[in-house]
Amino acid sequence: MSRKLLETEGPKWVAQGIITPEQQQQLLALYPDEGRVVGLLPLLGSLLVGLSALSLVAANWQGLPEWLRLLLLLGSMSGAYAGGEYFLRRRNDSLGIGLVGLGLILFGAGIILTGHMYQLIGYDATGLLAWALAGTALTYLYHSRFLFILTAAIGGIVQGYSTGQLGGFSYFTAALTVWGLGYYWWRRPDGLLATVLATGLLWQAGLLIGHLHAKITWFFIPAMLIYAAGDWQADRPAGRSLQAPPLVAAFLFTLGLALYGEADTYAGMLRPPFLAYISALLLVLALSLAGKYKRGRLSSATDWLLLLPGFYLHGGLALAIATLVVLYAYSGSVLWRAHQENNADRVTLGTVLFILTTMVAYFKLTWAFMDKSLFFLLGGALLLSLSWYLRRKNAQSLAAKQPDAQPDVQSHA
Amino acid sequence: MNPTSTFFSRQRLVTLAVAVQALFILAVAGAGYATTALGRTIVLRTTPVDPRDLLFGDYVRLTYTISQVTPQLWHGPDAPQKGQPVYVLLQPAGRAYEATGVYATEPAATADQAILRGWVTDSWRHGIRLRYNLERYYVPEDAGQALQKAGIRRALLVRVSVAPWGQARIAQVEEVPQ
Repeated sequence: MSRKLLETEGPKWVAQGIITPEQQQQLLALYPDEGRVVGLLPLLGSLLVGLSALSLVAANWQGLPEWLRLLLLLGSMSGAYAGGEYFLRRRNDSLGIGLVGLGLILFGAGIILTGHMYQLIGYDATGLLAWALAGTALTYLYHSRFLFILTAAIGGIVQGYSTGQLGGFSYFTAALTVWGLGYYWWRRPDGLLATVLATGLLWQAGLLIGHLHAKITWFFIPAMLIYAAGDWQADRPAGRSLQAPPLVAAFLFTLGLALYGEADTYAGMLRPPFLAYISALLLVLALSLAGKYKRGRLSSATDWLLLLPGFYLHGGLALAIATLVVLYAYSGSVLWRAHQENNADRVTLGTVLFILTTMVAYFKLTWAFMDKSLFFLLGGALLLSLSWYLRRKNAQSLAAKQPDAQPDVQSHA
Repeated sequence: MNPTSTFFSRQRLVTLAVAVQALFILAVAGAGYATTALGRTIVLRTTPVDPRDLLFGDYVRLTYTISQVTPQLWHGPDAPQKGQPVYVLLQPAGRAYEATGVYATEPAATADQAILRGWVTDSWRHGIRLRYNLERYYVPEDAGQALQKAGIRRALLVRVSVAPWGQARIAQVEEVPQ
């Protein structure tokens, strides 16, 4: 419950006699105004000051002598770090960490600008790798989520530059993200960091697949390894957050397969060597199931439905239909598990997935056989009735388990 | 965790981390000086430079005679691929160096030859286009005006320092003497 909710809803509750005005004040006192905006202001302020200094220096950059440019780079970086330490020691955490983050950004800018200044050419990502390394070290030193996110982004940038401009995948950067940031998250599980980490790793995995010119389905081996790591994480919500990005990728891929898999040329582009791909996938599956078993979450094994390698079928339309069945089975399993866990958010998620699947199925199966206006009419009617039915079902099942919360649940679902 | 209990207190580690970063930036600058001091100089000829380039921005776009080579120069197990890093073997020819071979792996060079690293940007039946990351020359203020005065669609000679460890940088840009 938040203070905002209490402030807006409180007077109604008093009017309806649910709580007395005194109780309302007591409740409000439980959630003091934390002044989030005030915490954000110094960050924004320092950003603006930094930007103005930056544009001033940038305008005159070429005219400055080399030693002065170097001094400016080193001075601003050290200054930002020192300022960060100063404010952290005075318990002004958001400003302090903001300045340390600025120092880290200035370190990267320093490397790039010094390289430009001496017209140096980068042949490998060593220079930028030092940037990612510094970010990792600072994340551990300050135990900061902000620095973690910044470092994950830096890793993605370095890898993108390395594969895009330098024609080589930086395995060291990938390893640094996996072991450096991965270990940090493993010891300090956190939902937001999990999603950031998984997204960053998926980005690098995608770059690797592109760099190797491998079939894109190989992407799901590293993606599902990330997923499996989520299974072994003792902290359940953080583990789920790590698994969300790989699952989103797998769902979108399966959706694409249902839409375009009918053309054998598309499915053909997806087929890696059968034995190698399947054994790698089974290995990751075993790892994931072992984790689920150990942590007592075997019911979530239905996530693996999305990884069924249907693209090996040469069926044409049959493949598309089989893929749709898999999608229905998956979204159905999400809904079913949401009901079991009594989780309103996941019910919503399951409903959305279900409707998405239905849309694709409808698009796929009826487009060729029907007049277009009738197509849209029937489609609209189908989706409306489906969403009505699912909402009703959600409300019923959730209401049966927690009768008091019914109005609130309905508005969420 | 008590910050003062060990020799490696958090305070000292932070100081160390910042010092290492500052040293790294100084090392990048040092690499620039070292490349000029220890490297050998090769001269590359550009195609005519558009003088309008000098009016906008702080750099000129340079295209070299070695920026595009014939496919006969290619030595590699597979056909050159877009984005692939390559080694270009250079040989002196008149005032400037010209490409005698493009290799997927580092070739052996005789004493008068030089090796420059680059990337394939395009490859087709009649040519391979290469990028050396020497295509942008950040013009120093004074040199810019001199070049602008002289640079009426004329080729330039670019002196490039190549360090023994392969690092390259543009040392000087001048006109082709008449």
